[in-house]
Amino acid sequence: MARRTQRTTASLSFPVWAWLVFFVFTPLALVVWYSFGYKPDLFTAVSTDQLSFDRYGEVLDGVFMPMFWATLRIALTGTLLCLLVAVPFAYWMAVKVDPRWRPLLLALVLVPFWTNFLVRTIGWQVILAPSGMASDVLNAIGILDGPLDILYTRGAVQLGVVYNYLPLMILPLYVVFERLDPSQREASRDLGAGRWRTFFSVTVPDALPGIASGCLLVFIPLMGDYLTASVLGGARGTMVGQIVARQFTSAQNWALGAAMAVTLMAFVLLTVLIVAALFLLVRAVVRRARHLDLGVSP
Amino acid sequence: MRRERRDPVDLLLAVFGVLVFVFLFLPILVIVVYSFNTGRLLGAWDSFGFAAYSRAWNNPVIGDAVRTSLVTGVLASLVSTTLGTIGGVALARARPGARWAGVLTALLAVTLITPEVIDGISILPWLVTLGTDGGLSIVNNGMVRLVIVHTSLALAVVTFIVRARLRGMDEQIEEAAADLYANPWNRFRQITLPLAWPGIFAGALMAFTLSLDNTIVASFVQVPGYTPWPVYVFGTLKVGLRPEIAAVSTVLLLLTLAALAVVWAVLRRSGDDNTSVAATLTGG
Repeated sequence: MARRTQRTTASLSFPVWAWLVFFVFTPLALVVWYSFGYKPDLFTAVSTDQLSFDRYGEVLDGVFMPMFWATLRIALTGTLLCLLVAVPFAYWMAVKVDPRWRPLLLALVLVPFWTNFLVRTIGWQVILAPSGMASDVLNAIGILDGPLDILYTRGAVQLGVVYNYLPLMILPLYVVFERLDPSQREASRDLGAGRWRTFFSVTVPDALPGIASGCLLVFIPLMGDYLTASVLGGARGTMVGQIVARQFTSAQNWALGAAMAVTLMAFVLLTVLIVAALFLLVRAVVRRARHLDLGVSP
Repeated sequence: MRRERRDPVDLLLAVFGVLVFVFLFLPILVIVVYSFNTGRLLGAWDSFGFAAYSRAWNNPVIGDAVRTSLVTGVLASLVSTTLGTIGGVALARARPGARWAGVLTALLAVTLITPEVIDGISILPWLVTLGTDGGLSIVNNGMVRLVIVHTSLALAVVTFIVRARLRGMDEQIEEAAADLYANPWNRFRQITLPLAWPGIFAGALMAFTLSLDNTIVASFVQVPGYTPWPVYVFGTLKVGLRPEIAAVSTVLLLLTLAALAVVWAVLRRSGDDNTSVAATLTGG
């Protein structure tokens, strides 16, 4: 009986397998295949009659790597800034705010999340323009003299990135902070630990799953995003995703583009594995350092 | 619990919280305000009026783009919710440690972490191959292409939301139904579906908004005549942004907020507390 149910369950998932294989993983496999090919002439995008690793050599020597490092810098800074903003904010929402107001505030955080990505970035373009609102305000309060010169710079891209991905950091953190048991914090305070000690040795360790998933939710899409950069960074805001896209659109060099895509994908997968390993490591260290298991399983 | 009303740290946190909300809403407010700009360019404020709304309404290109996006959103949401519900049910009911379930979860997770640009560049040559050499001319249709790529984007999200919903549920109810000789289909329809319903509903909404929001993948596969709204907006970036874009965005924002309110109300009614509604809606 049980065995038959299991077989039904497995075969139930067939349509999902079929979709994934046909529309996701075959195309991805094709890209890996293309990455070993070459561009034979001006009018052909790819040829795979001779296979080599030459395209990967081109990736490592060409314009891809500097762009990759620039994108990585923006992505890491962006993730860190999101974390710095989201931790106190989510903590405030989940712990300090009156429980009656929490649903409303949570709904408000979701509003930008559900506004078109491109349009809210365009909103920043309007604000940051030399004749825009930010410029007027800064001039009025005397911080700035003359038009604001931030649009189409790295600073504007960084701001836009933090803005666009902040809700993705806030939500998982809110969920873990909300699930925390207040009596643990009180116990810690009663046992003489100060506010900060309590926060860092009771609250943060239990929030680790939320921190890890928040960082991944921000960092991963950020590495491939080039919309924010093209709206706020102009020509100077090129991100690695754009370089990859260009090989398939204007440059029509699928072999090189495929090698770039595989490199990017490998990096993303590696990041996930490293974060997962770090998470397990940190949790193990924390458990050992805390001497006492508070009995909260995430 | 002791309340320290005048605690400076609490006050600081509250001020910070309000500032973050201002930050989160600033560009959205700017878009709403500038949708009433009567000037020709979005960023150059002229005077207050509804000109942008009437121009957007009378612009057939904008109308087509919005229609394409809405139809794609509904269709992609239907397809991905159907597939995702099946997948979510199968994963939630899999024997712990079943190898197929592990592999399927991993594959779905890979689709979640694949950068959109890679989804775009990989699906385009494949669709071209299928449409020309493969003889599957249906994939040359712009709408079909958009529905395919948006279904792939949303499939994992829907599956995981439905699975999370069913995992907490009592499996014995289904077993009881089986013992009472309910056939698998009736068991699915009368027991599993009602249990999974809030998750399915939330998943469908997520799929719809993912589709409506998607620019990068859609820009790769789009065919003239089927340009979705975000791709249209992205195209106007280079030639100059007009207040019409803000006007349409404001209308879409209001529609999204209404949809969100409906979903929230439905989930609340099905007995969830607010935190689990939030968790369901965000796939946690």
